[in-house]
Amino acid sequence: MITGRAAADGSPTQFKVFDTDVHHGPWRTESLFPYLSEVHADRLEHYGFGGGGVSWAYNGGSQGYRTDIITDRGKKNYPGVVVPDPEVCRKELLDEAGVDIALLVGGGGEGIATAGPDVAYTNALLRAFNDYSVAEWLTVDDRFRLAIAVNPQDPQNAADEIDRLGGHDQVISIILPCGSQRPYGHPFYKPLHEACVRNNLAITLHFGAEGSGVNPQPSAAGYPTSYVQSRLLRPAFYKPHLASFVFDGVFEEFPTLKVGMIETGIAWAPSFLWLMDQNWKALRPQVPWVKRPPSEYVRENVKFCSQPLDDPEPKDGMAKTLEWLDGEHTVMFSSDYPHFDWDEPQETFKTMPDEFRRRLLWDNAAELYGVA
Amino acid sequence: MTGAAEVRRHHVGPTSEIVAGAPKLVSVDGHEVGVFRVGEQFLAWRNVCPHHAAPVCRGTVAGTNLPSKVHEYLPGRDGEILQCPWHGWEFDLLTGEHLAAGSRARLRRYPVEVIDEQVYLTLPANRA
Repeated sequence: MITGRAAADGSPTQFKVFDTDVHHGPWRTESLFPYLSEVHADRLEHYGFGGGGVSWAYNGGSQGYRTDIITDRGKKNYPGVVVPDPEVCRKELLDEAGVDIALLVGGGGEGIATAGPDVAYTNALLRAFNDYSVAEWLTVDDRFRLAIAVNPQDPQNAADEIDRLGGHDQVISIILPCGSQRPYGHPFYKPLHEACVRNNLAITLHFGAEGSGVNPQPSAAGYPTSYVQSRLLRPAFYKPHLASFVFDGVFEEFPTLKVGMIETGIAWAPSFLWLMDQNWKALRPQVPWVKRPPSEYVRENVKFCSQPLDDPEPKDGMAKTLEWLDGEHTVMFSSDYPHFDWDEPQETFKTMPDEFRRRLLWDNAAELYGVA
Repeated sequence: MTGAAEVRRHHVGPTSEIVAGAPKLVSVDGHEVGVFRVGEQFLAWRNVCPHHAAPVCRGTVAGTNLPSKVHEYLPGRDGEILQCPWHGWEFDLLTGEHLAAGSRARLRRYPVEVIDEQVYLTLPANRA
C-alpha cells in the first residue's frame, strides 16, 4: 500500500494526499514591493489592487479563517483569506495533516486584480505575485506546487507569463477566477490555451472576482445580499466555463489540455453533465465540432474538487453522486486550507473503499496535474 | 415454421407517388409507417421516435452539419437526414441511426420492395 509521509505523531498516514486548493499569499501588500517597479509599488501602496472587490460583509470563521489557526500577526492589509507564512503552512498542512503535495492557488488581492480595468497594472501585479510565490514559497518546501496567476483580460500577456514560468519544476498550473468577462473556452483565450498546452500546465478554476471590477454581475438576478447566498451561487459560477470549454471545442482542439475545477463541491455536477449530453443529442449540428457526448470530454479533460463536500440528506446520496459522476476518475481532494470551511484529508471519503479513497486523495489530481 | 415464401406484401403505391423529402404515410398492422425516397432508394420507418414517441416521419427531411473543425461548418448529406419534429433529434434515413456518437437510438425499419414501379412493404407472415 502506498502511504503518505509521516503524520505529526510519527505514524504514517494511510493514503498519499494531493491537496488541490491551498490559499497562500502575503499578510501585507508590502511583501510584493520588491517584485514591482517603483511606480507600481507606490500605486499598490496608495490605491490598492484596482479590481474593486465586492464584499458580502461576512465570510465565516474569523475573517474567513479557521479560528484555531489565526494568530495575531499585527495589522493585515493584503485582501483575501490566505495563509501568509510558508513555515506555518508546512507545519500544519504538510506535516500535521499529512498532505504530500499542496497546490498553492493564491486567492487574495491578485485575484481581485484580474477584474481591474488597467490591464498593464494587473499584469504587473500578477507577475509580482508569481515572483513572490516562487521565491518565498516554492523554495521553502518541495511539497509546494504553484498555480501561477495570469490575467484573463490579456491572453497574450497570460501566454507570455506562462512561457516565463512554465518551465519551473514546481509550477504545474495556472489559476483563473470564475468571475470573467467571457467564458474561458471563448476563442479570445486561444493564446492562453496554447501556452498551457505548450508548457504542459493545467488550468485551475476557482470561484472569485464575480461581480468585481469590470466583471459582470455575479448572477442573472443581480447581487445576492448575504455571504451565504453567494455560496449558493457557486455552481453557476463554474457551469458557463465548463460548457464553454466543451462547446467551443477547446478539448477537440487541445486534447491534452486539462482543467481542474476547485472548491466546487460535486453534487451539482452529474446533473449538469446529463444536461449537456441531452442538449448535445438534439442540437449537435449547431456545434458539429463537438464530436462526442460532452460528458466524455469532461471525463477525459476535467476534474472536480471535493471541498466543500456536499452533505446529502439521504444516506446513500454521496455514494450515488460519486457513482453518477464517475468520481473514481473525476474527483480530486481539496482542503481549502486555511479557510474556516476546510476539509481534513484523512477524514474525507472515510466511508468509501480504500481503492476509491486512494484515487480521490491522490491519483486523480496526480493524473490531472501530471505529478508522478 | 415460417418460410421465406410466407411473407406478406403491403402495397404502398406507385414509385411516382413518393418523392424525395415528402414521405408517404401508411397504416400497417396498427402502426403508422413513413415511406421515403432517398435518391433512387425507397426506405420505410415506423412513425415513432425512439426518444419520446413523436411522429418522427412528420419531421423535416434535410441535410446536416458534418463533424468539422472547431467553429467551422461543413454542410452535407442533403436529403438523407430526418429531423424529428419534437426535440430535433436527427436520424440517418439510410440506416435509421440517431446522429449522435454513442447513441443507441434508432428508427424501426420496414423492408421495402419495388416490383414493376410499385412500392411494397414486406411484412412477416401472420401467425396462425
